[in-house]
Amino acid sequence: MEKILKNFTWENIKKFNTKYSYIVSFILLLALATIINPRYLSYRNLSTLALQASIKGIITLGMSLVIIAGLIDLSVGSMVALTSGLGVVVLNQTGNVWIMLAFCAVFGTILGLINGLLVTKGRIAPFIVTLATMSAYRSIIVQLGQGGPFNVDLDILESFRMIAAGEILGIPNLAIIFIAITIIISLLMSKTKFGRYVYAVGSNEQAARLTGIKVDLVKTLTFTITGLLSGITAFLLASRLTSITAPNAGQSFELDAIAAVAIGGIAMTGGRGVIAGSFLGAIMLQMIEGILIIAKIPPFLNGLVKGIIIIFTVLLQYRHVLKRKKRIKSETIKAAVTE
Amino acid sequence: MHIEMKGITKYFGAVRALENVDFKINQHEIHGLMGENGAGKSTLMNILGGAIQPTEGEIYINGELIEKMTINLASEMGIRFIHQELNLVNDLKVYENLYLGEELTNKFGILEKKQMIEKSKEVLERLKLDIDPTMSVSELETSRKQLVEISKALLFESELIIMDEPTTALTNTEIDILFNIMSNLRDEGLSIIFISHKMPELFRICDKYTVLRDGHFIESGKFKDIDEHIATNLLVGDRVIDTTWIKEDKREEAILSARSLTCDGFFHDVSFDLHRGEVLAITGLHGDGRSELSEALFGARTLSSGQIFLNGEELKLSNISSVMKSGIGMIPRNRKERSIIKDLSVVNNFSVAYFVAKHKRAFINDKEEIERFNNSRQTIDIKTDDPNNYITSLSGGNQQKVIVSRWLELDSDVYIMDNPTQGIDVGTKFEIYRLINEISQRGKSLIIFSAEFPEIHRIADRCFVMYKGQINAELNRDELTERNVMYYATGSNTEGINGKNS
Repeated sequence: MEKILKNFTWENIKKFNTKYSYIVSFILLLALATIINPRYLSYRNLSTLALQASIKGIITLGMSLVIIAGLIDLSVGSMVALTSGLGVVVLNQTGNVWIMLAFCAVFGTILGLINGLLVTKGRIAPFIVTLATMSAYRSIIVQLGQGGPFNVDLDILESFRMIAAGEILGIPNLAIIFIAITIIISLLMSKTKFGRYVYAVGSNEQAARLTGIKVDLVKTLTFTITGLLSGITAFLLASRLTSITAPNAGQSFELDAIAAVAIGGIAMTGGRGVIAGSFLGAIMLQMIEGILIIAKIPPFLNGLVKGIIIIFTVLLQYRHVLKRKKRIKSETIKAAVTE
Repeated sequence: MHIEMKGITKYFGAVRALENVDFKINQHEIHGLMGENGAGKSTLMNILGGAIQPTEGEIYINGELIEKMTINLASEMGIRFIHQELNLVNDLKVYENLYLGEELTNKFGILEKKQMIEKSKEVLERLKLDIDPTMSVSELETSRKQLVEISKALLFESELIIMDEPTTALTNTEIDILFNIMSNLRDEGLSIIFISHKMPELFRICDKYTVLRDGHFIESGKFKDIDEHIATNLLVGDRVIDTTWIKEDKREEAILSARSLTCDGFFHDVSFDLHRGEVLAITGLHGDGRSELSEALFGARTLSSGQIFLNGEELKLSNISSVMKSGIGMIPRNRKERSIIKDLSVVNNFSVAYFVAKHKRAFINDKEEIERFNNSRQTIDIKTDDPNNYITSLSGGNQQKVIVSRWLELDSDVYIMDNPTQGIDVGTKFEIYRLINEISQRGKSLIIFSAEFPEIHRIADRCFVMYKGQINAELNRDELTERNVMYYATGSNTEGINGKNS
């Protein structure tokens, strides 16, 4: 006990804050929400929060991979819309939920793979590639739907709806799926060679290449995994909404995902950050939306608030980087002196 | 400018970087500041330049005590700093770079381009540089960029110029030019502080020296009173330095054979055999195609034609990881850009190559990773408090040791090292030489690409000298003299042949 207290110094708190900034901001945000609404911490409320955060949260996990690898994917929202709309068609044709899930997963993976190949084989900047596919994927589904919605047929609607609306032991299905995927992606990034390679590529591509890492393969895979996760999201979104309006579905998902990744403490320059951070980041973003509603800020201003959040968190990160540079300098001198 | 720094002490937190250091420089003086990496040279110079404040100590300039030195004050007083790294913007023109941040404008804030170009031209001419100031910097070779960097300091009136290893990227002719300028500036009354690791250069250009070791002032004096042996002893203290190793001749089986390697525009028709346990040095001057050859041997650059055989089998050079798996390891030049993964920890940096070439499973085990790291520390001592700290928390020498152990971990048959001792302190250099010798004794073969003759002389069994993309000469140990290397590296032997052809 004494040892614990002894370690509880200002210096260590600061250290903790730099390493786990996302946990600190989560606690602060939770405190803020509880002050505004004393019943915020109720079970019902928290499980609704997890439910609401899940769909965008799964996208956020994919976005984290891409950003850690030093890339960006703007097409996630359009991938979700395209896969989701076609998925509903598949469901209506076959009447089988599993076939629809398989379709969504495979189709999303292919869309992501296209992004990856254009970036690595086509040697086009990821920003440009995914901006183009964002526009292209969306346009396809709008044309196919002739501007109208894709509705799930009435005979399967109820059972299909329950996938997203159901609960197990009082925990929403969506939250369980979100947490499960978070754990898988987190293990992928921290416990496998692939995860290590993603960090290496995002940190120093040239050094990664010269130590034998297949940089193009790693990059393509991050896009492909993001595509797969977009496909799963598309499936869940269809179940939640049961009607996919092509022009609106998954709109501004890319913005939300990037914002959540930023809040989650992942470096926008690549190479640094953990999946647990983007998990909390997605939840925090949902909390902020809730707080905005309670604070009676017009919903039209949501985009403004998110924009400010992205800039603000990146600025904070930058400050951390500056501090770190200073620290490295003194540590280098320290190391050198002790030699 | 007459500068006296007295009793300078600097602590970073609880860590002492400098302890009671004195430093003095006069007008008409080129002063060599020597010390291993981490001896405190840059801290001392940063204090002089106002970038950091000393914990204790006083600075007198021309006899006057300076209360608080700041970066602005230093530049007002005419103190200019030429850093080792390039600070040029590639996409801007030469003159735009020279005036970057200090552009000349007329009263409407419009750039005075003509005037700037004119003045840039003057400075470049004064430096005898054949560089058009309206050229884009990206069109210049690295060595010439370095010279542009140097001319930046001459553009404005200066009293004291601090040069931090300015010759690293320069060719010999350019070093001659630089030294000429330096002695001219000295005659004009300027003071120059010259930081370098290269003894021949220090002895050639500097008048006086100051040696720092472990943050302490060791000695100051005139270069003409000491020789290179004494200087080395001052630098490293009591540590014992082996000079050369006794080597048996072990030219037996060829382990790696290169046949007619060609890479258009860089090198052509390069063939050689590397024997088991041999240390082969490849040297030459800037632009000889050496760096490109080193990359090609590792599969990092595509060959136009030619074959490489390893243990009698033809190597597939299509991707680096398969080359690594067949038994070739490579320590690239330029550690910061090509080796260090700055966002990963020391131990993670260490194990990357192992994961690529040796680790069969997809999952990794943190415990096993640390164990491997600690094992390798028995061969190379890496000084770190916690291997989970970022690699950037280590000194340059220790970072390089991490990189070297990254590759030794693979237990490759052949090691290619491109400039392995670039920018590291003397102590670590010798440790790396010792390692090179050790692994060659164990039957491994090494190809060392280097431009430093003392290094080659110390470690190599055999040496190729490259000139214009070809192996111009093969020198055995008994032919290995600096004169010989220079003779072939400058292509002096080919003049006649060229004359006949034309």
